[in-house]
Amino acid sequence: MSPALFFKFVGVSFRKETAYRFDYLVMILNGFLYVFIFTSLWKTVFAASGGGFGGFTTAGIISYTVVAMVIRISFSMDDTIIPGRVRDGSVAVDLIRPVSFQMMNLAQCVGYSAFHLTARGLPILLVSALMFDLHAPLRSLPASAVSLVLSYLLLFMLNFTVSLLSFWFVEVFPFILLKYALINLLAGGLVPMDFFPDFIRPVMALLPFQHIFYSPAIIITGRVAPEQAVGIIAVQALWVAGFVVLSAVMWRAASNKLVIQGG
Amino acid sequence: MTPDIMDTLKIYAALAMASLKARMQYKASFFVLIFAVTLFYLAQLGSLLVVIARFKEINDWTIGDMAFLFGLLTFSQGFTTLFFNGLQNFDTMLINGEFDRTLVRPLSPLAQVVLSKFEASTVAHSLIGAVALYYGAKMSGIVWTTEKMVSLPLVVFGGVLIQGGIRMFVNAVAFWTLRNAALVHTVVFSGREFVVYPITIYNYGIRFFLTFIFPLAFVNFYPAQYFLDKTGETLFHPALRTLTPVVGIILFSLSMVAWKKGIDHYQSSGS
Repeated sequence: MSPALFFKFVGVSFRKETAYRFDYLVMILNGFLYVFIFTSLWKTVFAASGGGFGGFTTAGIISYTVVAMVIRISFSMDDTIIPGRVRDGSVAVDLIRPVSFQMMNLAQCVGYSAFHLTARGLPILLVSALMFDLHAPLRSLPASAVSLVLSYLLLFMLNFTVSLLSFWFVEVFPFILLKYALINLLAGGLVPMDFFPDFIRPVMALLPFQHIFYSPAIIITGRVAPEQAVGIIAVQALWVAGFVVLSAVMWRAASNKLVIQGG
Repeated sequence: MTPDIMDTLKIYAALAMASLKARMQYKASFFVLIFAVTLFYLAQLGSLLVVIARFKEINDWTIGDMAFLFGLLTFSQGFTTLFFNGLQNFDTMLINGEFDRTLVRPLSPLAQVVLSKFEASTVAHSLIGAVALYYGAKMSGIVWTTEKMVSLPLVVFGGVLIQGGIRMFVNAVAFWTLRNAALVHTVVFSGREFVVYPITIYNYGIRFFLTFIFPLAFVNFYPAQYFLDKTGETLFHPALRTLTPVVGIILFSLSMVAWKKGIDHYQSSGS
């Protein structure tokens, strides 16, 4: 797909989101709510344990909470599009379009997320920066940027792969719910991996989830030095590649299956 | 509401059975859904467990206390969803004109909306809540005096009225704004996250908000103080610990007034 066409899809998807203004004001509030809850929580328990825990200082954990929340909100994706189009059959139209299905979905997803970044993520970041003492070392910037792009692609690929299940199952809502359950708990959007029980951490290190919010957040906030970030980024890249292969295989099988159904 | 409550309840039971039968048509997907919903709630609980396991206590609330706090919230939330789930997607009912049908039928429009969708997966919620309540009470060594045993159903009753009243309020907003799904989501699903933790962790403004403006703290925090005999900490006034049913009745009555005002204001979207 040509870059120009890619950005056309991005633009259309962005504009579609701007239609619900009241909703997004409320959703900004929703993000603040979590920032309030978790900054209050960490302040309380960190004060009780003497101001440091799991490699975080109090200022460090507050920065982590805000950054992880802003990433989480900015990485909003509409994962009902593909299942919806499979259900009502309009995916057939997507198949005969002269553009790659994956790239078209990625472009729509980027437009959707770009809206949530500007309308919700940035306002929350700005206000939080005024309220709290946020740490984000400048020298981590290049590593942070790479890690963010990879974590975005990872989340997209995960959503895309789960969405493809709709070619085989009539009802994919339980799978989507399951995915959210795992992301909410294991991606580090609210509670960083460092606070999890020590016996679970090796298991979590083998899963892709912590590379969605936790990895970029600890790199941005300087919890890990840029030199150490290289290893984390490599693992992120491996996961993205793994999902690209998996979804390609599934996509091939799915499009064959759709042809068999006929119409 | 119609004068004859028994009739309304009978209709509710009939609608609930019809909805359950409809869901059971696809047995496998029904049970997969219940399974997924349960896992989803357990994952939610997971974040809380991680925090407690790591820090042992939060402002003098031990693991047992926290489980009791969580149980009280989740248990009454399960019942709230059971009774008020019809309000979900209420704005869609207004937008596509479905609500107009209820206005011409001989049963109160509110009853028809509220009773329109029975949600069976709410069982998962109540179940997790009950387990948390049981173990929380056990771990914290609650002594079940007669007074406390009588109080528990009253507190759940009050908690359901508070949460139901809040849902009615935010849904009544749709009579003016039409689309309000995000507001409902924020208030109903995210608002509860505030009271998963003892509200003593928040600054004065948020404590005040959760007590006097958006009184979710009465669903679990204040009654939990009473059940757990937390004498050391007092927010605002010690009497608040026993006021849950009263707050519930007041809030729910007010929400009925708001709902009535909304219907009077309502003009069909025309679709």
